[in-house]
Amino acid sequence: MKCGLSLDVRDIDETTINIDPIQVGGRLTADAMKAVIAYGDGYSVCDNCRKPNRLDMIKSPPIDAFHRDLAAFVNMDEARVVPGARRAFQAVAGTYIEKGDPVLLTALSHYTEFLSVEAYGGVPLEIQKSSENIITADAAGEKIDSVKREYGRPPKLLYVDHFDYQFGNEHEVKGIIKVAKQNDIPVLYNGAYTVGIMPVDGRDLGADFVVGSAHKSMASPAPSGVIAVTKERAEEVFRTTKAQADLTKRTFGIKEVEMMGCTLMGVTLVGMMASFPHVRERVKHWDCHLSNGRMIVDALLAIDGTTVKSEYPRKHSLTRIDTTGSFDTVARTHKKRGFFLTSALKEKGIAGTIPGATKVWKFNTYGMTDAQARYTAKAFQDIALQNGLIVLR
Amino acid sequence: MSKRAVDSVFQAMFLLTDLRVILRDTAPVHELDESRQAMVARTLAELEEQVKVIRKEMVG
Repeated sequence: MKCGLSLDVRDIDETTINIDPIQVGGRLTADAMKAVIAYGDGYSVCDNCRKPNRLDMIKSPPIDAFHRDLAAFVNMDEARVVPGARRAFQAVAGTYIEKGDPVLLTALSHYTEFLSVEAYGGVPLEIQKSSENIITADAAGEKIDSVKREYGRPPKLLYVDHFDYQFGNEHEVKGIIKVAKQNDIPVLYNGAYTVGIMPVDGRDLGADFVVGSAHKSMASPAPSGVIAVTKERAEEVFRTTKAQADLTKRTFGIKEVEMMGCTLMGVTLVGMMASFPHVRERVKHWDCHLSNGRMIVDALLAIDGTTVKSEYPRKHSLTRIDTTGSFDTVARTHKKRGFFLTSALKEKGIAGTIPGATKVWKFNTYGMTDAQARYTAKAFQDIALQNGLIVLR
Repeated sequence: MSKRAVDSVFQAMFLLTDLRVILRDTAPVHELDESRQAMVARTLAELEEQVKVIRKEMVG
């Protein structure tokens, strides 16, 4: 079936259980799908834009109220919607980083955080991870001291991911933020894998900036995200234009420089808004999602030779698993080689793994129903048994 | 053409969206329990009503 001439219908989530590490938290709710139908046209939220002509002040649809709700959702003072978490990194970097400034990231930071530092001439420096792939407050403190010795000043900014994209491990964000604050370093909390799937309280954490990815974790179309900040930081990151054109003498109202004026002017924003009531509710049920994920991880670990690379017991639904000693031993002699696992999963209606991967790979169980979680756990073990592996029950 | 037809077209698409979500929630085997079967039956009945309105308004 086609959408128009050349686009195949994408029905992966209707026909399979999708365990793609980055896709599951961004799947739309029914209400978001309906909003997408109604608001698909370009600047669709601008029908009732009135002076002072800024996205976050539009009352119909209630975008102004949504911004307040977003800030409250992560317990911060002000929020803006952005085209993905990366654009929030860019806004913060653009506000604070000058050429040559040392900026702290971590050994597990996402590449877009590095790019945002590079874009403004900052020097990205990593906090070391532990042998268990955890970023600790102690390691942050040591790195801050090291930067102060080398640069004669503290880092200009610190980015920390609550859960990282590589292992889905939880890092000592509260302790790291505390150490940063003791050194007057503003902190960007990267909640790409938390905001929208589990409760996040930015004020309790002590963050200056809370960043979320709506297309990753808030059941929204891409690209979409949120940046929420303290009142003090709002004046800086959300500063308004002071520019005046030299020939025409035009000025540009109260457009915000780092936001490049208005950000999400259509389907992405209404998708976020339509999903939001459900997202606000679903974070209360994070334990259920985690429990399903743990069951599937345990089912995999029961396959002899399988180990988990992520911290264990799991604290997140994103997991890095090592099947070198199990599924990869099958791949060595199987006629489909490494593709046997993807193929076997596909036959059972499970999708989202990297084709050919049988050694170390990631999956995310977020959003499954209980029945789907049980089905997935059994499917992995059935594939193991069908291929001569031992399953320890 | 009428506002009624427009409303019914949207409503029909929204009802189909509800069915789409049921397909997602029950993938890959799509075995529906009694509660979901009842929901599908109700949704289809409402959809048929909307289609009737569309036919009346747009075909005559």
